[in-house]
Amino acid sequence: MENIVLGIGITALAGALAAVAGAAEDTESNIGSQGDPNSQVQLAPQMGYIHRIFNKAVAGEPPAYGLWCALGAGLTWAFLAMQLNAVLAIVLGCAITIFVQGVYATTAYLGRTASLAKFGQPVYIDILKSMTSVTMAHAFVAVFCTVTICYLMNSALGHPFPLPILGFIWGIALGAAGSATGNPYYGKERQYQNQKFGAGVPIAASGNIVRYAEAGVRNSLDNGWFTAKLGGAASGLCFGFIVFLELWRTVLFEKVGAGWGAIVVGILIILVFMVVDRFIEVWARKTYGPYTKPEEA
Amino acid sequence: MSAIAGPKSSLSVEYNAVAIIVSLIILVLIIAATFMLGIPMALSALIGIIVGGVLIGFGVHFVPVGGAPAAMGQAPGIATGVAMLAGGAGLAGLFGGAWAASQGLVVATVTGAIGGGLMMAITCFFVNVIYVFGMGVPAASGKVKKDPITGDTQPEFKSQGTEGHGLPFVSFVGGVIGGIFGGGGGTLVYMMLLGLYTATLPKLMGSQSVANSVAILPIAVSLAGVFAIGIFLVNAVLAAYNITGTIEGPHDPKFKRFPRDIIASAVASGLCGFVAILIATSIGM
Repeated sequence: MENIVLGIGITALAGALAAVAGAAEDTESNIGSQGDPNSQVQLAPQMGYIHRIFNKAVAGEPPAYGLWCALGAGLTWAFLAMQLNAVLAIVLGCAITIFVQGVYATTAYLGRTASLAKFGQPVYIDILKSMTSVTMAHAFVAVFCTVTICYLMNSALGHPFPLPILGFIWGIALGAAGSATGNPYYGKERQYQNQKFGAGVPIAASGNIVRYAEAGVRNSLDNGWFTAKLGGAASGLCFGFIVFLELWRTVLFEKVGAGWGAIVVGILIILVFMVVDRFIEVWARKTYGPYTKPEEA
Repeated sequence: MSAIAGPKSSLSVEYNAVAIIVSLIILVLIIAATFMLGIPMALSALIGIIVGGVLIGFGVHFVPVGGAPAAMGQAPGIATGVAMLAGGAGLAGLFGGAWAASQGLVVATVTGAIGGGLMMAITCFFVNVIYVFGMGVPAASGKVKKDPITGDTQPEFKSQGTEGHGLPFVSFVGGVIGGIFGGGGGTLVYMMLLGLYTATLPKLMGSQSVANSVAILPIAVSLAGVFAIGIFLVNAVLAAYNITGTIEGPHDPKFKRFPRDIIASAVASGLCGFVAILIATSIGM
């Protein structure tokens, strides 16, 4: 019984950490334009729209976070092997990792932006200085939370995988959840704030991203501020639910029916999400559409 | 093919007979070479790895991925890369499956499959939440006029100048099925390698005692985990090349390309599995 109570407590803590990790990951990637919307940031100067948006996209979010979380977890593992205190080991491991992320962000921005020189896009050194440190701070939060989750899974819940492999797996999952949930909000609602709400961006408008803010020229900090309010929160909830429900069904129901209990609960959770999704889909169709008259059969 | 006939539609599935025959010959050679190694369980492990790899490759075709256009609400699907999203779901499944490894092959594989499906269900749900409540657009497919599952009509819900947006119900279901195949396939590969390494590594490292076998278990788990992740990513990327860009799910015409990927996945998984099995041999030592 004590084990189960401890397991539930750790599950809740891991879920909360995952929510923070997801929110920080999405905000970091939006400030750095690392997700799919980077295509528009790269395209804009080619269409004649010079901007001051940071763009550090070289790899997608999942492989990038797979690398950083695996690196953070690996370094933590090494520090733990040196008999360092666990908290200190995680903090040090993640802090060193973030310098790698900083180098990545710097070289990525310089490389990507310099390639646009023929279209007149300058490399802004002040943007590089102010944005890189902010993405590093957000990435630290995301990687620290994820590595802590992995440490809890390994040491407290007894998962057989060593820390670096767990870091890689959950880093990829974090990037996948964050990019899937957060990208549309940054790509459509922020980059194309000049387009109508309640419609996708017409393909003809590609590249015409919003470049001016309430006062002055818009930069990526404005984008992070905007997307943190919904895209970041939704990404955090998404990754938080993934971690929490995966651990919860295993910790509570693994022993039921020789392992089949966790499977049945997993199927039930999938069905619940499916039903609620269908409800939202039908609600949206009734509330927003149709945009044109239905075609006659 | 002559130039006069013009290029075939990109949606038609082309099969290269020579490539298929060469692939099958390579696959048979790999299986024969594994048999010649003479390691107990090696052949069954290789077959399991090939089946797992094929399941992964097949599953990736179900995952609705819209890439950059989806991020602007210009096309339906999830706004990220094919291999990345499938990797996220499959590896989350592998995490669950590896945890249940002590409960046997069937329970572990099904647990892994459900773990992958669960990750995709939650992700697809939040994708639709963002589209509906964050962007104010309903789900609309660009590839079919009616959702094959719900029968909902699609074209009149596409906003002007786009190919659709969001995840129609059939894409949601496709995502969950893709996660289930990916998670199950990845776990199957892991379980096969774990069984092989657990049986062969103690002997290979010269320690037959029970205590040493227990000490070697973490090495077997780590090796099997790393190879399972590697084989997963190989198959996910192969499937992404087969899809070329974006796919809406099982109702997308591109889905029909999956037989081509099954052959490629079988050969690639066989080759990767053979290398993974070679580690458990004493050749060259």
